[in-house]
Amino acid sequence: MSDYLLEVKNLTKRFPIKGGLFGKEVAAVKAVNNVSFKIKKGETLGLVGESGCGKTTLGRSILRLIEPTSGEIFFNGEDIVKFESDRLRQVRRKMQIIFQDPYASLNPRMTVGAILSEPMEIHKLNIGKEVRKKRLYELLDQVQLPKDALNKYPHEFSGGQRQRVCIARALAVEPEFIVCDEPVSALDVSVQAQVVNLLMDLQKDLGLTYLFIAHDLKVVEYISSRVAVMYLGNMVEVAESHELYGGSRHPYTKALFSAIPQPNPNIKHDRILLEGDIPSPMNPPTGCHFHPRCWQANDECKQTYPSITNQSETHEYKCHNPIQL
Amino acid sequence: MSEKVLEVKNLKVEFNTDRGVATAVNGVNFDVIKGKTVGIVGESGSGKSVSALSIMRLIPNPPGRISAGEILFKGENLLNIPMEDMRRIRGNKIAMIFQEPMTSLNPVFTVGNQIEEVLELHQSHLSSKERREKAIDMLRLVGIPSPEQRVGEYPHQMSGGMRQRVMIAMALSCEPDVLIADEPTTALDVTIQAQILELMNKLQKELGMGIIMITHDLGVVAETCDDVAVMYCGQIVEHADVKTLFNHPQHPYTKGLIESIPSFDSTTGEKREKLATIEGMVPSLFDLPQGCNFQDRCEFATDECKTKEPSLTPIATEHEVSCFNPLK
Repeated sequence: MSDYLLEVKNLTKRFPIKGGLFGKEVAAVKAVNNVSFKIKKGETLGLVGESGCGKTTLGRSILRLIEPTSGEIFFNGEDIVKFESDRLRQVRRKMQIIFQDPYASLNPRMTVGAILSEPMEIHKLNIGKEVRKKRLYELLDQVQLPKDALNKYPHEFSGGQRQRVCIARALAVEPEFIVCDEPVSALDVSVQAQVVNLLMDLQKDLGLTYLFIAHDLKVVEYISSRVAVMYLGNMVEVAESHELYGGSRHPYTKALFSAIPQPNPNIKHDRILLEGDIPSPMNPPTGCHFHPRCWQANDECKQTYPSITNQSETHEYKCHNPIQL
Repeated sequence: MSEKVLEVKNLKVEFNTDRGVATAVNGVNFDVIKGKTVGIVGESGSGKSVSALSIMRLIPNPPGRISAGEILFKGENLLNIPMEDMRRIRGNKIAMIFQEPMTSLNPVFTVGNQIEEVLELHQSHLSSKERREKAIDMLRLVGIPSPEQRVGEYPHQMSGGMRQRVMIAMALSCEPDVLIADEPTTALDVTIQAQILELMNKLQKELGMGIIMITHDLGVVAETCDDVAVMYCGQIVEHADVKTLFNHPQHPYTKGLIESIPSFDSTTGEKREKLATIEGMVPSLFDLPQGCNFQDRCEFATDECKTKEPSLTPIATEHEVSCFNPLK
């Protein structure tokens, strides 16, 4: 058995755009294009990229919340794309998701107790009043919420506390793998640090594996052991997080990192200012999708899409003219 | 040398609500200097945006009300002048850009129309042809490609970064003395954020306006501001120039904020330490504790903090802090 918990191979998701009288398909958005990656057990893979690059679609496709168009997703060695609904439900117990907006992802009419019980009911876990109650208290304790939270409604909590409820809900079914889709983006800085620490503690205690999606590179770099960078539906670079910052080979990664404002007025760092906007994924540029904004682009970049170069076992990128280190 | 264009003095803003009176801004003082940027940082609900809206006199009344203070624009108190005069200043001498470029443009008018509207109101001597030319010039100034064509487009035809550029073009079309930027880049991606901040910086140098930069991102503050005020529960808790604030923060809250940002120092790949956090959460404006508002989350709190309210006191030149036990 391999030590990879999740292995994604050539995953593609196209959203057709229909038009005309008979709803014929006139175009398609390739939100995720031939993406392959692996996540080891107990590891955190960070996924970064700008809005519209397909990170959320990728995260949801892995759980089949969005049906992938093609590709394979091996979870514990089994291809879950082929699973029918019964088996899919079973495997979803092991794969959970935490969403970005803790205000929108909790039902305002349910108490926290009901919210946390629902996944257990669906999966028929911890049956019996006493057992259930014990488990609920345990969950609240894990996310550091007080016991009296069980009878309260979501509106009685602050953003950070609501995100804790969302985390507890994901933990309720004892998952092995959690997709964290921008879990701290909606929170204030001081609260953000609390939630990041909580996620890292839980990982250590419960041996969880995370796919951590965020656009805040500082948080991703901090929490992840490896980071993948996406641009227009493609994964353009994957590396160990400490290697990526400072040792990135793809110009887009380099520009992305240099664009982050540094909270230190003493250093003046060189900034690479990218020209223009992200092209529309409906009509991506030919060749390398990044070439219209790239300062290293040549004719080859305009014609052929670069293939994967493996720099080391943990570092791969797709670029014809990588940055020289 | 340093010419004050705007002085906010002892500003207090209250809102009447079902649960009682909430004091969103409580005795805030700061100055805007020509050609410089003052940053106002704080978490949600700390009163940053309300302070900004008060300067524009855009606080909805009722329920809101500016109950005390002065806002001096070139020596004239904006709170005392008639609404008609205020309208001549607003959007003309003091302009504002908002956080959401998606919702702050009117979807049924072209961006050209919207820039021309500002000119029509404040520079009525221009003919309609001159206004169109000026609108195109403004779009060119903010770096929009092929402005002659873009001027006739609607907001939905543009990306988020482009729309924010249009907002800036609109705000700058009358060459204001003060520009209030309320989280101008929060809704944008980092590469676009870098473009917009660079643009604001360049335009400030060209036009010499004073900027009030409201943000919760300390990275943005460090890179754009000259002077920074940190707000907590409607009050300024620390005020200093940007280097002093980051190098020697004196208020425990400021220090906590700075330390809770993950940094890129850990390039060694070793096991990371935990992020520093500020325990607990911001108290509700309806039941602020007696004494210092930060006492429950502060590790240095003493009995004095629980009974007496600290006030902003100078501890060095141009460095004020509102704390009984400032850090050494």
